[in-house]
Parts: sequence; structure tokens; C-alpha cells
Amino acid sequence: MTDALDLSTLNEDQRDALVRLIVTLADSKRLMGIRYSDWTLGAPSIETGVSMASMTQDEWGHARLLYAMLKTLDIDPGPFEYERTGDKFASVSALDREPLDWAAVVALMVLADGALSTMLRSVAQGTLEQARRRVPKMLAEEQYHMSMGSAWYRRLADSGGESRRLLAVATEDILPGLLAWVGVDDAAARRMVAIGILDSAADRLALYRDEVREFVALVGVDIDAVLGTSEWDEVRGRAVGRPDEEACERARGDRNRALLVE
Amino acid sequence: MSGGRDLWSAPLGEIPKDRVKAIWEVLQEVLDPEIPISLPELGLIYDVAYEEGIARIDLTFTATACPCMDFIREDITDRLLSEHWIDRVELVEVWDPPWTSDRITLEGREKLKRMGVSA
Repeated sequence: MTDALDLSTLNEDQRDALVRLIVTLADSKRLMGIRYSDWTLGAPSIETGVSMASMTQDEWGHARLLYAMLKTLDIDPGPFEYERTGDKFASVSALDREPLDWAAVVALMVLADGALSTMLRSVAQGTLEQARRRVPKMLAEEQYHMSMGSAWYRRLADSGGESRRLLAVATEDILPGLLAWVGVDDAAARRMVAIGILDSAADRLALYRDEVREFVALVGVDIDAVLGTSEWDEVRGRAVGRPDEEACERARGDRNRALLVE
Repeated sequence: MSGGRDLWSAPLGEIPKDRVKAIWEVLQEVLDPEIPISLPELGLIYDVAYEEGIARIDLTFTATACPCMDFIREDITDRLLSEHWIDRVELVEVWDPPWTSDRITLEGREKLKRMGVSA
């Protein structure tokens, strides 16, 4: 493994790029938890709902650890967690809208949670010491999410009919934004690659395509034929768009803000 | 504050010669809030240090979103501060190496087994 990066040597552009990376990962985890939590009571079985509750807990734990990484840059994570409006959220576009059916949730588990794990694996192997120390625990917990998601993806795909059709629709809907996110190759991402925090865009994208190829093929999607969305927001490091306002309010905890006692 | 405090011993009467060892022994009285074995037995304490009245504890949690984090921090701090030779407790949250059930000690496993819990 390469030597850890001395964060005090970062220039302003590199520092901004690192903040963008940490925030897009943390926001995505926070929103993923919101989306999972909505299905604790709406999943197909009680057991599945309990799993969603457990996965929600994991996602919020990961978000907590990721936001806290901003402290290594002497940045208070509080304003990022609690004060931003929805147009500042940097979560992946796949999480912008509430999944309307169980097939869409399953697609999130495999494709969106999978994309987050691809990026986290890259960061965990890079030069960012804080990530090396924290991310392996997150990835260990994510193994269970993928087990759950992959089992359901196969089940829905194999069942044919409406279940398979809905899964295909959800898959085709979120893949372009996820491919753009994993394979981001703009100036800020290149800075992260240059100082060893991320693998190259090509390597990340190849890894992600390999990981999801067999799944999406089950619903007739050729991952190598899908292109990442071209509408990209360089400031936030995600596709153009934003999460719905209700999700942002819940992510910030607006309703009980006055009761937040540290 | 969580359960198990009624099992805590009285503070040590004398300043121990080996303070680090004494801290490990004191921590044996602090139970996990959900699983009634001690934090060292559960493998959550990664390191202990002591210097000039300051006890530094490196600890991890079983999960990144363990709901008992605050209970555990409070219990460790309160038990250690009951010792007159400890003025301050520094808790350092660590995640490397990641906790797995492999870190439960043999003594911890035996206790869990007696309670009908496999690990």
C-alpha cells in the first residue's frame, strides 16, 4: 500500500476536491438510509422489513463516519449535515426520488449501494489515511446489503412478468446517473486520482460494470451499452438534479432540530 | 447510563503501581449495554494508556451505527473517574481493525455460552 497522504500539503483545489468527494459519499449514505427506512414498513415480508431497518442503521452509521472525516480537514461537519438546502445535496441521482415499488428498492440495493461500495473500496485502498481506517468496517457491513439485494434481484428477475418488468424499468432509470458518478472524470476527480485518493475513472468504471453485469443482464440490460448521463454538476460531483425536499428535511432532521442536544 | 452499574466495585483505595493494568481490570466491570459481558471481553477495547492522571482508551463498536455508543462512552468515563487517581478520560473511537465476533475473548465466549448465546 502506498504511503498515507499528508493533508497539510494539499493545495486549495485538491482540498476542495476532497471535500466534494467526502460529501458526495456521506450525502449518498444519508439519503440511502432515508430510502431504506421508508420500506421498513412496506417491504414484502416482516423479515424483509427488519432487514431494511438494519440496513438503514448501517447507512446512517456510515454517513456519520464519512461526515466526520471532514474534521481531518479542520472543517466542522455540522453545517453539511444540518444546514444545507436540497440543491446543495451531493447524493447520487438514483436517490433523488422515493422508490415507488419494491423492485425499485431492490435496484437501489444492488446498483446504487453497489456503486457506493465501489467508490468506497477505491478510497479505502488509496492514500487517505482516515478512509483506510474507517471504510473497511463499512464495507464489511455492506456485504450483508449486497447479499440481501442480490438475492432479491435474482428472485424478481427470475419470476418474470410484472416483477421483472418493474425491475428492468428501475434498473434502466438509475444506471446512467450511477455510471456517471462512479466514472467521474472531471477536474476535481482527476485531482483525487493524481494524489492517489481514488483509482482512475476507467478502473472504477470497469470494476463497477463487472460487479453489476450479471445482475442487469437478468433483466435484459447490457451494462456495456449503457452510457453515463452527460448532464453533470461539477460543483457537487453528481448528475444534475436534486433530492426531493421532504427527503432533505428528514436527512437534516428539521422537525426535531430544537431537540438536538450534543 | 446503562445497566450493570450495581455490579461495580468500590474505587481502589491506593494508587496502583501498574495503572494501565488497573484500568484494564476496572474496565472488566463495565458491561456492554446489550450483551452482558464486559467491554474487554467483547473485544471493544483496543488499547489503554495512562499518563499524569489522564486515561486514554481506544475503543471500537460492534457496528458503525451502534445505538449504545453514548451509553458505552458514559459508562467507561464514569467508572474510570470514580478512581481518585484518574482526573480525565480520553476516549478515542477507532475502526481499524474492524470489529468482528472473532475479537470476543475466550472468557467472553464462555459467559455467552452459559447464557445460551453462541459466538
